Amino acid sequence: MAVRIRLKRIGAHKSPFYRVVVSDSRSPRDGRFIEEIGTYNPVAQPAQVNINEEKALKWLQTGAQASDTVRNLLSKAGVLTKFHELKQQQK
Amino acid sequence: MGADSRDALEKTTRINMLFDIYGPLLTEKQMDIMTYYFREDFSLGEIAAELGVSRQAVYEHVKRGGLLLEDYEAKIGLLGRSLSAALLLDNLDHALSEAHGMAASEARRIQGLARELREALLPGAQNDGT
Repeated sequence: MAVRIRLKRIGAHKSPFYRVVVSDSRSPRDGRFIEEIGTYNPVAQPAQVNINEEKALKWLQTGAQASDTVRNLLSKAGVLTKFHELKQQQK
Repeated sequence: MGADSRDALEKTTRINMLFDIYGPLLTEKQMDIMTYYFREDFSLGEIAAELGVSRQAVYEHVKRGGLLLEDYEAKIGLLGRSLSAALLLDNLDHALSEAHGMAASEARRIQGLARELREALLPGAQNDGT
């Protein structure tokens, strides 16, 4: 069973707001998620990205796969760079 | 990665806004797949597995759904109008907060109305960072 990091949309009509959540790849839509590791508000000027770096790194290191959109967010927040540095150190 | 993934984030947000407005005009199946893909951020493969259809079929639905939403927007333009009206209301709000020669209570009252109107138009996207 794969663990995914996704961008789950919440927020009002015409006003997207997202949670970054860790979930099982087969957990049903609108279903449970394992942990919330951040939020993303694209309509704020400038867009607000809020990521719990420690948790994000923990999940990436245990092999969780981030979706394309989440990868994008993580790289914006500098988390992916840190992840790759950590990986290099371990080699 | 690169330019493509940056687009993915912006595109998801735009499609989500269009989907809020024009979603009900899509077929039920399209709505279902668009919800999985853009609201829940499932991958094409995951949706395919979930619904028991081919990955290619999911891709076609996502692509066609996106085109349809953009087509509705091109013809009807509700999102564009909401966005530009919201921007104008932000400007009005800003102008009122700097208005001299107007009673402060009066300025605040009009400012309140501008904010209400903006909220009705496009909720939660106030421009002043609060």
